[in-house]
Parts: sequence; C-alpha cells; structure tokens
Amino acid sequence: MLVDLVMIGLSIGMIYGLVALGISLIYSGLDIVHFAHGEMYMFGAFIGMTVYTQLNLLYPFTFVVALLGTALMGIVIERVFYRRLTAGGGGYTVAGMGIIICGFGMALFLQNLAYVIWDPTPKPFPVDFGRAIVIGDIYYPRVYLWIVIMAVALMVVLNVFLRHTKLGLAIRAMARNKDIAFLMGINVPLMISLTFGVACALAAAAGVLIGPINHVEIYMGYLILIKGFAAAVVGGFGSLPGAVVGGVIVGVAESLGAGYLSGNYKDIYAFLILIFVLMVRPSGLFSVETKLKA
Amino acid sequence: MLKIKDLHAGYGRIQILAGVNLEAEEGQVTAVLGGNGTGKSTLLKAISGLIVPWNGSVEFDGEPVEGLRPDRIVRRGLVQVTQGKEVYPAMSVEENIKLGAYVRSDRQGIADDFERVYSYFPILKEHRKSHAGILSGGQLQMLCIGRGLMANPKMIMLDEPSSALAPQAVMDIFRSINRIRRDGTTVLLVEQNVRMALLLANYGYVIKDGVIHMEGLARDLINDDNVRLSYLGGTVADTTGAAATL
Repeated sequence: MLVDLVMIGLSIGMIYGLVALGISLIYSGLDIVHFAHGEMYMFGAFIGMTVYTQLNLLYPFTFVVALLGTALMGIVIERVFYRRLTAGGGGYTVAGMGIIICGFGMALFLQNLAYVIWDPTPKPFPVDFGRAIVIGDIYYPRVYLWIVIMAVALMVVLNVFLRHTKLGLAIRAMARNKDIAFLMGINVPLMISLTFGVACALAAAAGVLIGPINHVEIYMGYLILIKGFAAAVVGGFGSLPGAVVGGVIVGVAESLGAGYLSGNYKDIYAFLILIFVLMVRPSGLFSVETKLKA
Repeated sequence: MLKIKDLHAGYGRIQILAGVNLEAEEGQVTAVLGGNGTGKSTLLKAISGLIVPWNGSVEFDGEPVEGLRPDRIVRRGLVQVTQGKEVYPAMSVEENIKLGAYVRSDRQGIADDFERVYSYFPILKEHRKSHAGILSGGQLQMLCIGRGLMANPKMIMLDEPSSALAPQAVMDIFRSINRIRRDGTTVLLVEQNVRMALLLANYGYVIKDGVIHMEGLARDLINDDNVRLSYLGGTVADTTGAAATL
C-alpha cells in the first residue's frame, strides 16, 4: 500500500513538477507570474488527444506535435500580449499587476476558445500502455511509469540544454540581466520567446502525460495551475531544481493523504504543505541563490 | 570612426539628451566628461542601442547604426561596458570572460584574446577558476572590461570605469585603458574623474544638461581655466604628479 501510494504520488508529482518548472522558468527569465499556464497544459492535452484520436499517430509522435503546437501558441501569446506589458516592469512590481491580470484574462479566453473548439464534455484519451506491472503486492499501472520516464527525460534534456549549450547560456544570461546580455551580442527578444516556448512545451508535456489517466476537459487547467504554484513555492519560487522537488513533495503528500486519510480531501493536502512551508521557510526549500539566475 | 549628430534621447517622456554632436577618431581615446545627471550614461545607451534615440544620427565605421538592436551593434564591433560592474557571480571568472565571446566562433581568435585580456589584467588569470562573486570592485571592473574586449570590438565604450574604486585600482584601470588603445582598439571613455580622463585621452568633450558644453584636445582642456575651476580643483603640480604614474 505504502509503496503503491508513493510510486503513484511520485508520478503525479512529476506532472506538477513539469508545470512548476515552466512557471519558474517564466518567472526567473521574464519576470512574469504566468496565470494562464494551466491553460497551456490544457491545450497541450487537447492537441495531443486530437492528434492521437484523429490521425492515429503513435503516442510519442503525439507528444512531439503537442509540445511544438503549444510552444508556438505560447510564443505568439507572449509576443503579442505580455511583451508590451513587461516593458514597464514585471514580477512583483505594481506594473507586474497588469501582467497578472492579463494572464487571468488569457486563461479565460483560452478556456472559452477550447469550449468552442472541443465543447465542454470531458474527452477520453485512450492510450493502451499494456498491462500493469505487478510485483508481489505492488500494483503499478504502466502509464505511471511512462510519466516518470518521460518527465525525467525532459528534465534531463532541459538541464543539459540550459547548462551545456550556447543557447542555454544565452538564456541564463538573459534571465540574469537583459542589458548585459544584449551588450554581449545576445539576441534577447529571441531568448525571451524561446524561454516562454520551452515553458509552455513543458506544460503541454504534462497535459499529454496526464491525459490517458484522467479525461481531457477544458477546465483541467485551473487546478493544475494552483498545484503547480504550490509546487513552485514549496521548492522556492524561481528555482528550477526546487520546482521538481516541490512537485514531487506535493504529489507524494497528496497521494499518501488520499490513501491513508481521505480521498475526498485530496486537493487540500497540497495547500496544507504550501501553508506549512510558507510558515516555516517562506523562501521555499531551495534558496534563491540556486535559481536559474545565479 | 564614430560620428554622432544632433542626438536626442530620454526615458519615457523625460528628455535627457538635447542634441549631442560628437566624433571619436580611430585609435584614440575620446573622453566624455561631466557630473552626475548630465546625460553621460544615456549617451552611451543611445549609441549602443539599449535605448532608442528619439532623433539624430549615429554613424559607426561609416554606417548608420541608430535604432539597431544592441546585439546587432555588438556584432558590428561596437561594445559598451556598463557602469554596474554586473557579472555572473556563480560562474567562474574564466566563464564570465568567455561570455563576452558569445558572438564569435573563431577558436584561435578567442584563445588569443583570452591571453590578451589576461595580459592586461594578470590578477584575473590568478583568479580564473574562482567564482566571480569573490572579486573586489577593481577586479570586477577589470572583468567587465575584459569581457567586453572578448567580442574583439573595433571600439569599446567604458561607462565610468573608475567609479567607486580605490585610488590604486583607478590607476590600474587607466593604465590598462592606455594599453588597450596602444593595441589598436578605439576607446570612448565616459568619466567623472576629469583629471585622469584628460591625462589619458586625446580629445575631450564636456557634457552638461544634455548638450556638449565644451570640447577640445585633452591637453588644451586640462589647462583651460573653466574646466579647471569647474571640474579639476587642485594645482598644476597635482596634475603633473598624476601624469607621471600613467
């Protein structure tokens, strides 16, 4: 029982981690607290589901299409709406309020757009992963294993990209100081687009991974946004390793709480942890020094 | 090499530069002098593209560059070193310097320029594996100048390299600027340390309220009564004493 719950919690935690990674990446790189990030997750899931059921593509190809499609959508949204607003400052500043409100508006708009395209009935995302893995008492559906593998692979790729490629270096330089990055000859607007696109693709990946477990529906972005924020804050807002660790903590806590206490209050456990961390260590588990900006 | 005509610029609705005319000759150090809030840094930002000029023209190496994005201007060989001594504290000194070569792909040239930077600033070579966060103010300034030189610019613009430094560090920085010029890189030097700047420079401009207030050969400006009264103070003996150390 305990092992089952921890393993499933770990998988769900990876989903939260992917969303939180995107939120942290956007915050540390662009000074935007992105409130429409849940809708990127929702659109990723819908694009994946549509491609999978309509075109009969293999699940891995579905993945690629959903990631690219959502990244492109994110890039357009950032370019057209957020960038004008960030010119006046972002983050927690007064000017940043405009961006937050714009994000909420964008979330509503995207939900309604999805309503028009896909209608509000939950849709199945029927992927057959084969039989569950059974070792003694442990029962582990393969879909959860698939989530862990894909999520870890994406995190490793992101880490290598940011730490060991020239583009990654340019993104880190841009995140730290846009003027200095400009003066080193870095194409800062391109790096901003790239960062936003990558963050949205991570959310889409989470959406495509969760799709086969839950149904895909247009309101799925709302709760994941809050869980993603909880994960990001628990880990230390803006810290990339923190986002992943925060996601796993929230996921495992939720799973254990649902298993041992009560499944009805599943969504509460994430916030209990969030409140506890904010009381004990408000900067999150990973201090600011470890974040992308350093 | 750099020709600026009637340059207007500012932030939001606030005008800072009200028609600056300035030229910098190849192979020379041109100094732009003035007190706080006279528009010196704004001038550099308008040249490097960090802010878009409202009006007027900036011509670099025979081609107009006003309104271009900063990274494009860097690729044309005009690099600005900002005032904040901003580095990446968690990266090593070596990695920080290497960042300056972002626009280049010629390995040999980059390696040569590494040696060049280390020859100007041997202390950076000593600390090359340390985190940049541990450096002193003077060393940070050296790191920023070194990083700027790694782009192999035709011209480098330095924004108050002597600000907030100890006298000895100021001397070191000015000595290295002298060597940078000797090795063929044109320098535009913005300074509040008028005496040192004029001792080093070939030509000087005094900026006041967003316009060029006075200009001339550096050796003439340093003996000019107005400049002496407004910016220098002290005696001729102080000046010649400082000159001997360069």
